[in-house]
Amino acid sequence: MPEMFANVDAVPYRWPFNGQWNADDTALLLLGFQNTLVEALDAEAEVAVAARLAEAARKKNIPVVASRRGQVAGVPAVLQRQMLPGLITPERETEGWQLSAQFAPPGEISVVDHAGDNAFYETGLELSLRERGIRNLLICGLPTEGLVHATQRNANDMGFECLAIADACKGTSPDRHASQLRITTFGNGLFGAVATSDSVFRSLSRT
Amino acid sequence: MTMFWPYSQPEDADKVALVVIDMQVDFCAPGGWVDQLGEDIANTRAVIPAVARALQLARDAGMAVFHTREGHLPDLSDLPANKQWRTRVHGLGIGDEGACGRILVRGEPGFQIVPELAPLKGEVVIDKPGKSAFHATDFDQQLKSAGISHLVITGVTSDCCVQSTFRDGYERGYECVILEDCTAAVEHRNHAATMDILKAYGGRWGTVSNLTGFQQAIEAIHA
Repeated sequence: MPEMFANVDAVPYRWPFNGQWNADDTALLLLGFQNTLVEALDAEAEVAVAARLAEAARKKNIPVVASRRGQVAGVPAVLQRQMLPGLITPERETEGWQLSAQFAPPGEISVVDHAGDNAFYETGLELSLRERGIRNLLICGLPTEGLVHATQRNANDMGFECLAIADACKGTSPDRHASQLRITTFGNGLFGAVATSDSVFRSLSRT
Repeated sequence: MTMFWPYSQPEDADKVALVVIDMQVDFCAPGGWVDQLGEDIANTRAVIPAVARALQLARDAGMAVFHTREGHLPDLSDLPANKQWRTRVHGLGIGDEGACGRILVRGEPGFQIVPELAPLKGEVVIDKPGKSAFHATDFDQQLKSAGISHLVITGVTSDCCVQSTFRDGYERGYECVILEDCTAAVEHRNHAATMDILKAYGGRWGTVSNLTGFQQAIEAIHA
Protein backbone atom coordinates (compact mmCIF):
# COMPACT_ATOMS: atom_id res chain seq x y z
CA MET A 1 0.00 0.00 0.00
CA PRO A 2 1.30 3.48 -0.80
CA GLU A 3 1.92 5.89 2.03
CA MET A 4 -1.24 7.96 2.72
CA PHE A 5 -0.74 11.68 3.26
CA ALA A 6 -2.67 13.92 5.64
CA ASN A 7 -5.21 16.42 4.26
CA VAL A 8 -3.74 19.79 3.31
CA ASP A 9 -4.87 22.97 5.10
CA ALA A 10 -6.25 24.85 2.11
CA VAL A 11 -8.93 27.32 1.02
CA PRO A 12 -11.89 26.78 0.71
CA TYR A 13 -11.66 23.23 2.10
CA ARG A 14 -9.12 20.75 3.46
CA TRP A 15 -7.72 19.24 0.28
CA PRO A 16 -8.45 16.82 -1.30
CA PHE A 17 -12.25 16.74 -1.09
CA ASN A 18 -12.38 13.00 -0.29
CA GLY A 19 -9.38 12.95 2.04
CA GLN A 20 -7.49 10.49 -0.17
CA TRP A 21 -4.10 11.30 -1.59
CA ASN A 22 -0.94 9.29 -1.88
CA ALA A 23 2.06 8.82 -4.14
CA ASP A 24 0.10 6.55 -6.48
CA ASP A 25 -2.81 8.90 -7.19
CA THR A 26 -1.11 12.32 -7.10
CA ALA A 27 1.24 14.24 -9.39
CA LEU A 28 3.03 17.59 -9.11
CA LEU A 29 2.80 19.86 -12.18
CA LEU A 30 5.50 22.51 -12.71
CA LEU A 31 4.12 24.81 -15.40
CA GLY A 32 6.24 27.17 -17.48
CA PHE A 33 9.22 27.58 -15.14
CA GLN A 34 11.31 28.56 -18.15
CA ASN A 35 14.21 31.01 -18.15
CA THR A 36 12.40 33.70 -20.16
CA LEU A 37 9.34 33.64 -17.92
CA VAL A 38 11.28 33.45 -14.66
CA GLU A 39 13.31 36.50 -15.67
CA ALA A 40 10.39 38.53 -17.05
CA LEU A 41 8.27 37.94 -13.95
CA ASP A 42 11.22 38.21 -11.55
CA ALA A 43 10.10 34.90 -10.10
CA GLU A 44 13.28 33.48 -8.55
CA ALA A 45 11.59 33.14 -5.13
CA GLU A 46 8.67 31.19 -6.62
CA VAL A 47 11.07 28.93 -8.54
CA ALA A 48 12.92 28.19 -5.30
CA VAL A 49 9.66 27.14 -3.62
CA ALA A 50 8.71 24.99 -6.62
CA ALA A 51 12.15 23.35 -6.60
CA ARG A 52 11.70 22.44 -2.90
CA LEU A 53 8.27 20.99 -3.74
CA ALA A 54 9.78 18.96 -6.57
CA GLU A 55 12.46 17.61 -4.24
CA ALA A 56 9.90 16.72 -1.56
CA ALA A 57 7.74 15.00 -4.18
CA ARG A 58 10.71 13.03 -5.46
CA LYS A 59 11.51 11.79 -1.95
CA LYS A 60 7.90 10.63 -1.54
CA ASN A 61 7.79 9.02 -5.02
CA ILE A 62 5.14 11.48 -6.24
CA PRO A 63 5.51 11.87 -10.02
CA VAL A 64 6.65 15.30 -11.19
CA VAL A 65 5.81 16.69 -14.65
CA ALA A 66 7.30 19.94 -15.93
CA SER A 67 5.71 21.84 -18.83
CA ARG A 68 7.43 24.04 -21.39
CA ARG A 69 5.53 26.46 -23.56
CA GLY A 70 7.20 27.02 -26.90
CA GLN A 71 6.48 28.44 -30.31
CA VAL A 72 5.61 25.84 -32.88
CA ALA A 73 5.57 26.49 -36.60
CA GLY A 74 2.08 26.59 -38.02
CA VAL A 75 0.18 27.29 -34.82
CA PRO A 76 -2.45 30.02 -34.99
CA ALA A 77 -1.03 33.54 -34.88
CA VAL A 78 -3.38 34.42 -32.04
CA LEU A 79 -1.31 32.20 -29.71
CA GLN A 80 1.58 34.64 -30.04
CA ARG A 81 -0.23 37.45 -28.25
CA GLN A 82 2.05 38.90 -25.60
CA MET A 83 2.02 37.91 -21.93
CA LEU A 84 3.76 41.07 -20.80
CA PRO A 85 4.79 44.10 -22.85
CA GLY A 86 7.24 42.73 -25.41
CA LEU A 87 7.16 39.18 -24.10
CA ILE A 88 5.90 36.51 -26.45
CA THR A 89 6.29 32.75 -26.24
CA PRO A 90 9.95 31.65 -26.57
CA GLU A 91 11.04 29.62 -29.56
CA ARG A 92 11.76 25.99 -28.86
CA GLU A 93 15.35 24.93 -28.22
CA THR A 94 16.42 28.46 -27.27
CA GLU A 95 18.01 29.29 -23.91
CA GLY A 96 14.93 31.23 -22.80
CA TRP A 97 12.70 28.25 -23.52
CA GLN A 98 14.69 25.89 -21.26
CA LEU A 99 13.48 24.96 -17.80
CA SER A 100 15.12 26.82 -14.94
CA ALA A 101 18.34 25.15 -13.81
CA GLN A 102 16.82 24.90 -10.31
CA PHE A 103 15.04 21.73 -11.46
CA ALA A 104 16.36 18.31 -12.38
CA PRO A 105 17.10 18.14 -16.11
CA PRO A 106 14.59 16.66 -18.58
CA GLY A 107 15.20 12.93 -18.55
CA GLU A 108 15.17 12.89 -14.76
CA ILE A 109 11.73 14.50 -14.66
CA SER A 110 8.91 14.11 -17.18
CA VAL A 111 8.41 17.02 -19.54
CA VAL A 112 5.42 18.03 -21.63
CA ASP A 113 5.70 20.59 -24.44
CA HIS A 114 2.76 22.75 -25.46
CA ALA A 115 2.05 25.73 -27.69
CA GLY A 116 -0.56 27.61 -25.71
CA ASP A 117 -1.37 28.20 -22.05
CA ASN A 118 -3.02 24.88 -21.40
CA ALA A 119 -0.56 22.02 -20.86
CA PHE A 120 -3.32 19.48 -21.62
CA TYR A 121 -4.31 20.82 -25.03
CA GLU A 122 -3.00 18.62 -27.86
CA THR A 123 -0.46 16.92 -25.60
CA GLY A 124 -0.23 13.48 -24.01
CA LEU A 125 -0.48 14.85 -20.48
CA GLU A 126 -3.99 13.63 -19.68
CA LEU A 127 -3.27 10.15 -21.08
CA SER A 128 -0.05 9.78 -19.10
CA LEU A 129 -1.71 10.92 -15.86
CA ARG A 130 -4.73 8.64 -16.32
CA GLU A 131 -2.51 5.66 -17.21
CA ARG A 132 -0.73 6.08 -13.89
CA GLY A 133 -4.03 6.36 -12.02
CA ILE A 134 -3.51 10.02 -11.07
CA ARG A 135 -6.61 11.79 -9.70
CA ASN A 136 -5.04 14.58 -7.65
CA LEU A 137 -2.85 17.40 -8.98
CA LEU A 138 -0.57 19.77 -7.09
CA ILE A 139 -0.14 22.75 -9.42
CA CYS A 140 2.39 25.55 -9.56
CA GLY A 141 3.87 27.70 -12.30
CA LEU A 142 4.05 30.97 -14.21
CA PRO A 143 2.06 33.10 -14.73
CA THR A 144 -0.75 32.44 -12.24
CA GLU A 145 -3.41 33.82 -14.57
CA GLY A 146 -1.78 32.22 -17.61
CA LEU A 147 -0.44 28.67 -17.74
CA VAL A 148 -1.44 27.87 -14.17
CA HIS A 149 -5.07 28.88 -14.36
CA ALA A 150 -5.67 27.69 -17.93
CA THR A 151 -4.26 24.26 -17.11
CA GLN A 152 -6.09 24.03 -13.78
CA ARG A 153 -9.42 25.00 -15.43
CA ASN A 154 -9.06 22.22 -17.97
CA ALA A 155 -7.88 19.69 -15.38
CA ASN A 156 -10.89 20.58 -13.25
CA ASP A 157 -13.31 20.06 -16.15
CA MET A 158 -11.66 16.64 -16.60
CA GLY A 159 -12.45 15.79 -12.98
CA PHE A 160 -8.94 16.03 -11.52
CA GLU A 161 -8.88 17.30 -7.93
CA CYS A 162 -6.55 20.31 -8.10
CA LEU A 163 -4.58 22.25 -5.52
CA ALA A 164 -2.83 25.45 -6.60
CA ILE A 165 0.21 26.23 -4.44
CA ALA A 166 0.08 30.00 -4.08
CA ASP A 167 3.68 30.85 -3.19
CA ALA A 168 4.98 28.65 -6.03
CA CYS A 169 3.01 30.71 -8.58
CA LYS A 170 3.48 34.31 -9.67
CA GLY A 171 1.19 36.47 -11.77
CA THR A 172 1.90 39.43 -14.02
CA SER A 173 0.86 41.59 -11.04
CA PRO A 174 0.16 40.87 -7.36
CA ASP A 175 -3.50 41.86 -7.88
CA ARG A 176 -4.02 39.54 -10.82
CA HIS A 177 -2.31 36.70 -8.94
CA ALA A 178 -4.55 37.18 -5.89
CA SER A 179 -7.74 37.69 -7.93
CA GLN A 180 -7.19 34.61 -10.04
CA LEU A 181 -6.63 32.46 -6.96
CA ARG A 182 -9.73 33.96 -5.29
CA ILE A 183 -11.78 33.07 -8.37
CA THR A 184 -10.30 29.55 -8.21
CA THR A 185 -11.79 29.07 -4.75
CA PHE A 186 -15.16 30.81 -5.37
CA GLY A 187 -18.31 28.74 -4.84
CA ASN A 188 -16.58 26.21 -2.56
CA GLY A 189 -13.80 25.64 -5.09
CA LEU A 190 -15.19 26.03 -8.60
CA PHE A 191 -11.73 25.18 -9.93
CA GLY A 192 -10.23 23.49 -6.89
CA ALA A 193 -8.43 24.67 -3.79
CA VAL A 194 -5.45 26.91 -2.93
CA ALA A 195 -2.79 26.39 -0.24
CA THR A 196 0.69 27.56 0.66
CA SER A 197 3.72 25.34 0.22
CA ASP A 198 4.11 25.19 4.02
CA SER A 199 0.75 23.44 4.29
CA VAL A 200 1.79 20.92 1.65
CA PHE A 201 5.14 20.25 3.35
CA ARG A 202 3.35 19.79 6.69
CA SER A 203 0.99 17.21 5.20
CA LEU A 204 3.83 15.33 3.55
CA SER A 205 5.66 15.10 6.89
CA ARG A 206 2.52 14.14 8.85
CA THR A 207 1.76 10.90 7.09
CA MET B 1 -8.72 53.17 -29.91
CA THR B 2 -8.36 49.43 -29.38
CA MET B 3 -9.33 47.17 -32.21
CA PHE B 4 -12.48 45.12 -31.73
CA TRP B 5 -10.94 41.93 -33.17
CA PRO B 6 -7.65 40.53 -31.74
CA TYR B 7 -5.88 40.44 -35.13
CA SER B 8 -7.96 40.76 -38.19
CA GLN B 9 -11.42 41.59 -39.34
CA PRO B 10 -13.35 38.52 -40.49
CA GLU B 11 -13.74 38.10 -44.23
CA ASP B 12 -17.49 38.14 -43.91
CA ALA B 13 -20.20 38.07 -41.26
CA ASP B 14 -20.71 34.34 -41.79
CA LYS B 15 -17.21 33.71 -40.37
CA VAL B 16 -18.40 35.02 -37.01
CA ALA B 17 -20.35 33.17 -34.32
CA LEU B 18 -22.11 34.89 -31.46
CA VAL B 19 -21.78 32.55 -28.48
CA VAL B 20 -24.29 32.90 -25.65
CA ILE B 21 -23.08 31.00 -22.60
CA ASP B 22 -25.40 29.36 -20.06
CA MET B 23 -28.23 31.92 -19.88
CA GLN B 24 -30.23 29.24 -18.09
CA VAL B 25 -33.01 29.39 -15.52
CA ASP B 26 -30.69 27.74 -12.95
CA PHE B 27 -28.22 30.64 -13.22
CA CYS B 28 -30.33 33.70 -13.97
CA ALA B 29 -34.01 33.30 -13.26
CA PRO B 30 -36.13 33.44 -10.10
CA GLY B 31 -36.66 29.93 -8.77
CA GLY B 32 -33.51 28.62 -10.47
CA TRP B 33 -30.62 27.00 -8.65
CA VAL B 34 -28.60 30.14 -7.78
CA ASP B 35 -31.78 31.83 -6.57
CA GLN B 36 -32.70 28.77 -4.47
CA LEU B 37 -29.26 28.92 -2.84
CA GLY B 38 -30.21 32.37 -1.57
CA GLU B 39 -27.61 34.06 -3.72
CA ASP B 40 -28.33 37.25 -5.64
CA ILE B 41 -29.31 36.76 -9.28
CA ALA B 42 -29.51 40.51 -9.91
CA ASN B 43 -26.13 40.59 -11.72
CA THR B 44 -26.73 37.64 -14.03
CA ARG B 45 -30.31 38.73 -14.71
CA ALA B 46 -29.32 42.30 -15.47
CA VAL B 47 -27.50 41.37 -18.68
CA ILE B 48 -30.51 39.67 -20.30
CA PRO B 49 -31.55 42.80 -22.28
CA ALA B 50 -27.96 43.39 -23.44
CA VAL B 51 -27.56 39.77 -24.58
CA ALA B 52 -30.91 40.07 -26.38
CA ARG B 53 -29.52 43.13 -28.19
CA ALA B 54 -26.35 41.20 -29.15
CA LEU B 55 -28.53 38.38 -30.49
CA GLN B 56 -30.51 40.83 -32.58
CA LEU B 57 -27.34 42.41 -34.00
CA ALA B 58 -25.84 39.01 -34.87
CA ARG B 59 -29.03 37.64 -36.41
CA ASP B 60 -29.56 40.79 -38.48
CA ALA B 61 -25.95 40.62 -39.69
CA GLY B 62 -26.27 36.97 -40.76
CA MET B 63 -23.84 35.63 -38.16
CA ALA B 64 -24.09 32.12 -36.73
CA VAL B 65 -25.50 31.88 -33.22
CA PHE B 66 -24.45 29.22 -30.70
CA HIS B 67 -26.09 28.83 -27.29
CA THR B 68 -24.65 26.68 -24.51
CA ARG B 69 -26.22 25.02 -21.48
CA GLU B 70 -24.30 23.54 -18.57
CA GLY B 71 -25.76 20.32 -17.23
CA HIS B 72 -25.33 16.63 -16.75
CA LEU B 73 -26.91 13.42 -17.99
CA PRO B 74 -29.83 12.21 -15.85
CA ASP B 75 -27.72 9.29 -14.57
CA LEU B 76 -24.93 11.78 -13.67
CA SER B 77 -22.38 9.56 -15.40
CA ASP B 78 -20.65 12.71 -16.73
CA LEU B 79 -20.47 14.43 -13.33
CA PRO B 80 -17.07 14.38 -11.59
CA ALA B 81 -17.37 13.36 -7.92
CA ASN B 82 -15.59 16.50 -6.70
CA LYS B 83 -17.92 18.78 -8.71
CA GLN B 84 -20.97 17.23 -7.08
CA TRP B 85 -19.40 17.30 -3.62
CA ARG B 86 -18.50 21.00 -3.92
CA THR B 87 -22.05 21.97 -4.88
CA ARG B 88 -23.70 19.80 -2.19
CA VAL B 89 -21.87 21.76 0.49
CA HIS B 90 -24.29 24.60 -0.35
CA GLY B 91 -27.22 22.37 0.70
CA LEU B 92 -28.55 21.79 -2.81
CA GLY B 93 -26.13 20.13 -5.20
CA ILE B 94 -26.01 19.08 -8.83
CA GLY B 95 -28.48 16.25 -9.43
CA ASP B 96 -30.58 17.05 -6.34
CA GLU B 97 -34.31 17.75 -6.65
CA GLY B 98 -35.05 21.49 -6.47
CA ALA B 99 -37.91 23.85 -7.22
CA CYS B 100 -37.13 23.80 -10.98
CA GLY B 101 -36.44 20.09 -11.26
CA ARG B 102 -33.10 18.37 -10.65
CA ILE B 103 -30.23 20.88 -10.43
CA LEU B 104 -28.18 21.22 -13.66
CA VAL B 105 -29.61 18.06 -15.17
CA ARG B 106 -30.36 17.95 -18.90
CA GLY B 107 -34.02 18.27 -19.79
CA GLU B 108 -35.14 19.75 -16.46
CA PRO B 109 -36.96 23.12 -16.31
CA GLY B 110 -34.03 24.80 -14.56
CA PHE B 111 -31.65 23.66 -17.32
CA GLN B 112 -33.56 25.58 -20.03
CA ILE B 113 -32.47 28.88 -21.50
CA VAL B 114 -34.47 31.84 -20.15
CA PRO B 115 -37.46 32.59 -22.44
CA GLU B 116 -36.24 36.11 -23.26
CA LEU B 117 -33.20 34.59 -25.03
CA ALA B 118 -34.76 31.47 -26.50
CA PRO B 119 -32.80 30.02 -29.45
CA LEU B 120 -34.35 30.42 -32.88
CA LYS B 121 -34.79 27.52 -35.28
CA GLY B 122 -31.45 26.73 -36.91
CA GLU B 123 -29.33 28.02 -34.01
CA VAL B 124 -27.08 25.43 -32.39
CA VAL B 125 -27.40 24.59 -28.71
CA ILE B 126 -24.34 22.96 -27.15
CA ASP B 127 -25.00 20.98 -23.97
CA LYS B 128 -21.85 20.78 -21.91
CA PRO B 129 -20.83 19.00 -18.71
CA GLY B 130 -17.93 21.34 -17.91
CA LYS B 131 -17.21 25.03 -17.60
CA SER B 132 -15.70 25.34 -21.07
CA ALA B 133 -18.02 24.93 -24.07
CA PHE B 134 -15.14 23.08 -25.75
CA HIS B 135 -14.78 20.41 -23.06
CA ALA B 136 -16.40 17.04 -23.90
CA THR B 137 -18.63 18.54 -26.64
CA ASP B 138 -18.59 18.83 -30.44
CA PHE B 139 -18.48 22.64 -30.28
CA ASP B 140 -15.08 22.89 -32.00
CA GLN B 141 -16.20 20.51 -34.74
CA GLN B 142 -19.42 22.43 -35.31
CA LEU B 143 -17.57 25.74 -35.51
CA LYS B 144 -15.08 24.30 -37.99
CA SER B 145 -17.86 22.76 -40.10
CA ALA B 146 -19.55 26.14 -40.24
CA GLY B 147 -16.28 27.82 -41.27
CA ILE B 148 -16.19 30.05 -38.19
CA SER B 149 -12.94 31.89 -37.41
CA HIS B 150 -14.11 34.58 -34.97
CA LEU B 151 -16.11 34.25 -31.72
CA VAL B 152 -18.06 36.98 -29.95
CA ILE B 153 -18.71 35.67 -26.45
CA THR B 154 -21.51 36.71 -24.08
CA GLY B 155 -23.48 35.16 -21.21
CA VAL B 156 -22.75 33.99 -17.67
CA THR B 157 -20.75 33.80 -15.63
CA SER B 158 -17.81 35.95 -16.63
CA ASP B 159 -15.40 34.48 -14.09
CA CYS B 160 -16.38 30.90 -14.79
CA CYS B 161 -17.82 29.49 -18.03
CA VAL B 162 -17.35 32.63 -20.14
CA GLN B 163 -13.67 32.84 -19.19
CA SER B 164 -13.11 29.10 -19.75
CA THR B 165 -14.67 29.25 -23.21
CA PHE B 166 -12.73 32.40 -24.13
CA ARG B 167 -9.43 30.83 -23.06
CA ASP B 168 -10.16 27.56 -24.86
CA GLY B 169 -11.21 29.41 -28.02
CA TYR B 170 -7.82 31.12 -27.97
CA GLU B 171 -5.99 27.78 -27.56
CA ARG B 172 -7.76 26.54 -30.68
CA GLY B 173 -6.85 29.59 -32.73
CA TYR B 174 -10.19 31.41 -32.81
CA GLU B 175 -10.13 35.18 -32.60
CA CYS B 176 -12.21 35.79 -29.50
CA VAL B 177 -13.92 38.91 -28.21
CA ILE B 178 -15.90 39.19 -24.96
CA LEU B 179 -18.66 41.81 -24.78
CA GLU B 180 -18.17 43.24 -21.31
CA ASP B 181 -21.70 44.64 -21.04
CA CYS B 182 -23.19 41.26 -22.01
CA THR B 183 -21.58 39.21 -19.24
CA ALA B 184 -21.70 39.17 -15.44
CA ALA B 185 -20.77 37.14 -12.39
CA VAL B 186 -22.69 36.36 -9.22
CA GLU B 187 -20.15 38.49 -7.31
CA HIS B 188 -19.27 41.77 -8.97
CA ARG B 189 -15.76 41.76 -7.45
CA ASN B 190 -14.94 38.59 -9.36
CA HIS B 191 -16.42 40.00 -12.55
CA ALA B 192 -14.29 43.14 -12.27
CA ALA B 193 -11.14 41.12 -11.53
CA THR B 194 -11.82 38.84 -14.49
CA MET B 195 -12.17 41.80 -16.84
CA ASP B 196 -8.93 43.29 -15.51
CA ILE B 197 -7.07 39.99 -16.08
CA LEU B 198 -8.49 39.51 -19.57
CA LYS B 199 -7.79 43.12 -20.64
CA ALA B 200 -4.21 43.35 -19.33
CA TYR B 201 -1.58 44.30 -21.92
CA GLY B 202 -4.12 44.55 -24.70
CA GLY B 203 -5.63 41.14 -24.01
CA ARG B 204 -3.48 38.03 -23.78
CA TRP B 205 -6.18 35.68 -25.08
CA GLY B 206 -8.31 38.01 -27.16
CA THR B 207 -10.05 41.33 -26.73
CA VAL B 208 -12.71 42.77 -24.46
CA SER B 209 -15.23 45.16 -26.03
CA ASN B 210 -18.93 45.98 -25.71
CA LEU B 211 -22.19 46.27 -27.66
CA THR B 212 -21.20 49.56 -29.25
CA GLY B 213 -17.95 48.01 -30.46
CA PHE B 214 -19.85 45.01 -31.79
CA GLN B 215 -22.24 47.23 -33.74
CA GLN B 216 -19.31 49.18 -35.24
CA ALA B 217 -17.51 45.96 -36.12
CA ILE B 218 -20.59 44.71 -37.96
CA GLU B 219 -20.83 47.98 -39.87
CA ALA B 220 -17.14 47.68 -40.80
CA ILE B 221 -17.66 44.16 -42.19
CA HIS B 222 -20.56 45.34 -44.29
CA ALA B 223 -18.86 48.53 -45.47
